[in-house]
Amino acid sequence: MIEVDSLAAVRAGNRILDAVTLAVAEGTVTTLVGPSGGGKSTLLRCLNGLETFAAGQVMIAGHTLIAGDHPPRALERVRRDVGMVFQGFNLFPHLSAIDNVTLAPRIVRGMPPSEARSRGLELLDRVGLSRFADARPATLSGGQQQRVAIARSLAMEPRVMLFDEPTSALDPQMSAEVLDVIVELARGGQTMVVVTHDHGFARRAATQVVELVAGRVHRAGPPAEILAGVGG
Amino acid sequence: MTGGRQGGRCGWRWWWAVAACWLGLIAAAAAAAELDDIRARGELVWGADQEGGGPHVYIDPENPTRLVGFEVDLADMLAAELGVTARFQQGQWDRLPLLLGRAADCVINGIESTPERARDWRCSRPYFAYALQLVARRDSPLDSPEALAKEGPRGPWRVGVLTGSAAEIEMRRRTDFAVEVVGYDGTVDCLEQLRGRVLDAALMDDCIASFNADRFGELRGIGRPFAGGTYTILTAPDTPRLSAAIDEALGRLITDGRLKALYDRWDLAGRQQMLLLRDAAEVPPARRGSLADLIRGALPLLLRSAGMTILLSVASFPLAILIGLAVAVGRLHGPAWLRPFLAGYVEILRGTPLMLQLYALFFLLPKVGLALPALVAAILGLAMNYSAYESEIYRAGLKAVPAGQFEAALALGMTKWQSLRHVLVPQAVRIVMPPITSDFIALFKDTSVCSAITVIELTKRYSVLALSTGRIAELAIVTALLYLAMSWPLSLLSRWFERRLERRSERSQA
Ligand SMILES: Nc1ncnc2c1ncn2[C@@H]1O[C@H](COP(=O)(O)OP(=O)(O)O)[C@@H](O)[C@H]1O
Ligand SMILES: [Mg+2]
Repeated sequence: MIEVDSLAAVRAGNRILDAVTLAVAEGTVTTLVGPSGGGKSTLLRCLNGLETFAAGQVMIAGHTLIAGDHPPRALERVRRDVGMVFQGFNLFPHLSAIDNVTLAPRIVRGMPPSEARSRGLELLDRVGLSRFADARPATLSGGQQQRVAIARSLAMEPRVMLFDEPTSALDPQMSAEVLDVIVELARGGQTMVVVTHDHGFARRAATQVVELVAGRVHRAGPPAEILAGVGG
Repeated sequence: MTGGRQGGRCGWRWWWAVAACWLGLIAAAAAAAELDDIRARGELVWGADQEGGGPHVYIDPENPTRLVGFEVDLADMLAAELGVTARFQQGQWDRLPLLLGRAADCVINGIESTPERARDWRCSRPYFAYALQLVARRDSPLDSPEALAKEGPRGPWRVGVLTGSAAEIEMRRRTDFAVEVVGYDGTVDCLEQLRGRVLDAALMDDCIASFNADRFGELRGIGRPFAGGTYTILTAPDTPRLSAAIDEALGRLITDGRLKALYDRWDLAGRQQMLLLRDAAEVPPARRGSLADLIRGALPLLLRSAGMTILLSVASFPLAILIGLAVAVGRLHGPAWLRPFLAGYVEILRGTPLMLQLYALFFLLPKVGLALPALVAAILGLAMNYSAYESEIYRAGLKAVPAGQFEAALALGMTKWQSLRHVLVPQAVRIVMPPITSDFIALFKDTSVCSAITVIELTKRYSVLALSTGRIAELAIVTALLYLAMSWPLSLLSRWFERRLERRSERSQA
């Protein structure tokens, strides 16, 4: 589903990613771990074309991204198949929860509003928030907001989901709510790449753990192998 | 401690001295210069408007630093008779009398004798006789002034006049004419617009029509001059000796033939003028009406012009917002080649006066074959001018939307424009609502500038009414109240937006 080959990215003269190669099979969960500043976010953002890279190649959900700029059209096609959930939720504050979820299906995929709404309500139900369909993001807790954000991404029926530290801004209880949702998705066979510091989650849900240090793949393998002896 | 108190007392004394000086200045300004003051000063200051044009007072085309015209010569002759020299003072024509007692001793500028002027100012004996001449293009179907009674091919005839002139009074008085009267501050502007087909005809003093006949060869006089009268020299009400001296001096210039010689020199039919002046009847002063009559007469006109003010604001502001938004989006997210042009658009519109922009739209565009009606030019001018300010507000608003919003939209597969339209712009609009509503109030007041291009809105209507009735203070209060009645709801609206926004940001912080 994802194949990253010799990826290199340079920002402000620094090599932030260097010869990163990894593969993610369909229906599996890969967690990206490593020290802060190791290049995890940058790698994730290269996967859906939010950032460009200097060398190498990314194949994801049947699309191929090469080094340098891409025409906007091509990127839009990739992103329709690749969902992303951010550390800061980034919900649209001027829209209700349900409108956050239905906006992209309506305007990007041209789904009729009634269909988008009933599917959106289903998704909110799946993340346990159908009662909050008409609430503005500002009135929801962080954990609730992140769950709406997950539903918003799922509404596009992406073949791959990318999570960038989805629980770092949350207290333990809200983190648990969100992680439960992600684990549930994993059980359903959703292909995912999750950046996280939560080794418990990695042990619980990951097929593969990749550790990025200073822009290089330091270690990669099954959770039991990579996380052996590491606490958390 | 002691030093401080002394310092304080010293400060008070200083303030008293300043206040006394001001009071003294105001008292001195209130008393108009009488004949003796003028003789002591050695100068007679006369007010006129060089924009009004020839043959009265205009700039010598050969030497733009020199003022010429038959009234320039007349002022010199009169000053010499009083034993002083003449000094010119510029003023806007329909407001020249307001210079009296402040910046000028007298006004000599084709001021027609009217009952209202005889009541409010001192009017000299007549020094010139005029009649009104209708002017149109040579190809115009208009063949006589009477033909104005029936509508022209484009509806009511659009007739230009000098604002506040006898021609304007006559045109507005003639309810039997199917005309739309358009007021101008200068004759040349009016004739340019007649040539440019914005107007169908113009009415002006016959001497002005013949003076401009060569420059505007494609125009011709329609029918004979009609509805004549005389010019008078105005002085302040509290200067009886000055006005008597001016009358005597005029008398001497008439009897010894120097005035006739002056008019002959200017090709103004000196002998004919002398006969007309000899027969001119005195104009009796008008009665001062009651306040109730004044308001009853003025209020409907003021209300209608307030409607124009509202129309100008509500038509131009949404346009300004749309253009401003497009410019802001273009500058932040548009193609790179477009950005410098948009930046230039904003800088030019913010860096030049609104008055000049309106003037360009209305008076210069017809020269390249695009004659906009005054109302359209006014709305467009206001919209463009304010779009520059709105675009800067929107730009700030768009920048204030967190970068993560754009990324989240893109990550969902939206195009740049979809992200802008559905995610960024709606949020920016909410952020900039308060400054935009307060800008609307500013635009609302700026509509008064549109009078420069013949649109009669509330301020212009006030000015015309105040000058024609002499009730400057009373009408100012009525007009101010009308403005407040209109802008008050707007400020309430802007405060409501602000409160709503505050509540929302409190909630999102909670
Ligand atoms: N646009 C950029 N310009 C300069 N440096 C950047 C830029 N983006 C990321 N970096 C740097 O790249 C490194 C990796 O960043 P990031 O991918 O965010 O790491 P992680 O998510 O693993 O903490 C950091 O040192 C960061 O400062
Ligand atoms: Mg990161």
